[in-house]
Amino acid sequence: MDPQTCLIVDDSRIIRKVARRIVEGLGFEVDEAADGVEALTYCMGAMPHVVLLDWQMPVMDGLSFLRRLRDLPGGRAPKVLFCSVETRADRIAEALSAGADDYVMKPFDGEILHSKFAEVGAIQSPS
Amino acid sequence: MTPEDFDRLQTLLATRAGFRLTRDRMHLAEHRLGPVARREGYHNVEAMLATLWNKPIASLGWAVIEALLNGETWFRRDRAVFDVFSRELMPALTAARPGGKVRLWSAGVSTGQEAYSLAIAALENSADVEIVATDLSRQAIEKAHSGLYTSFEIQRGLSARTMLRWFEQVEDHWRARPELRSTVRFERANLLDEPADDRPFDVIFCRNLLSDLEPAHRARVLDQLERRLVDDGCLFLGVDERPDGDSVAFRPVAGRKGLYVKAPSALRRAA
Repeated sequence: MDPQTCLIVDDSRIIRKVARRIVEGLGFEVDEAADGVEALTYCMGAMPHVVLLDWQMPVMDGLSFLRRLRDLPGGRAPKVLFCSVETRADRIAEALSAGADDYVMKPFDGEILHSKFAEVGAIQSPS
Repeated sequence: MTPEDFDRLQTLLATRAGFRLTRDRMHLAEHRLGPVARREGYHNVEAMLATLWNKPIASLGWAVIEALLNGETWFRRDRAVFDVFSRELMPALTAARPGGKVRLWSAGVSTGQEAYSLAIAALENSADVEIVATDLSRQAIEKAHSGLYTSFEIQRGLSARTMLRWFEQVEDHWRARPELRSTVRFERANLLDEPADDRPFDVIFCRNLLSDLEPAHRARVLDQLERRLVDDGCLFLGVDERPDGDSVAFRPVAGRKGLYVKAPSALRRAA
């Protein structure tokens, strides 16, 4: 079976690096994008299984990316996990109603990402 | 901390809490006791322990014990367990207790995540439950009762949807909503003591606790759990735990990790 793929979309190289290490540890093949346009271009080539998505980014933000992704052919398939410093309840609700499968508040750690990946069914996990 | 200090800590934890403080936790113990020493006004850990060994002060002794217990927990830890509880046990129990409350006990609840996870499962099933949640640590029980969790804690095991549904934002924390908090009664209790109340429970959760106990205390605690469980009740242990070899009180349920029912021999004895 082909390995599961995860696209990490964040304008911070450091966050991408930290998240990559954790997500690779969960058994995913990881690619990176620095903004919504790069991410959309990537998805039009091949849909990843999971997208870990920052909100505030230059060029195209996470919410605009998510709405466009869901309109693409096959764009409903990826599990999208928002991952943002935005922690207000109403903003989290907005992201979920725009089509995010779950939401990670920054800062996060490996245990939180592990639990969120299991929550959306991206990994089989006893925990 | 000297090796003698650690020996005496091991004895303190074993006699008062039945807790097995293994030698590999020496550095962890030193690390955890630093804040206790500062809070209690001692120059350092050694000075605090010297005072404790000279003149056993109950409150200081318990502050030390609480700091050394294993309080690790998170929401819906071992999610398969909660799925079994929510999809299989809860409907069956509600049907078996028409018009009555289903009674649950979370023994060793630490900071409350397990009890709130059960309360969410019950309320989402529209089940009428009464949840009693106990822990040895007064500090942990106070936090559990407050229902307040950091962003780190709330995200570990809960989806954002569940979080928004059952918790409200209080500055940078999340607090269990009143309907959730009123479903659970938190109490400080030592499993080594005789219970103050002997009303039986339909389901007992005692997960990842027995394995931290001194072997000599495990049978006694299991015995108490057995006595507090109705004859057709269920016991959940940690997924890697099992009752000790000489316990005949419980029988594992095939295909349901960590789930036990009373064994027929125990039922005969009780009859």
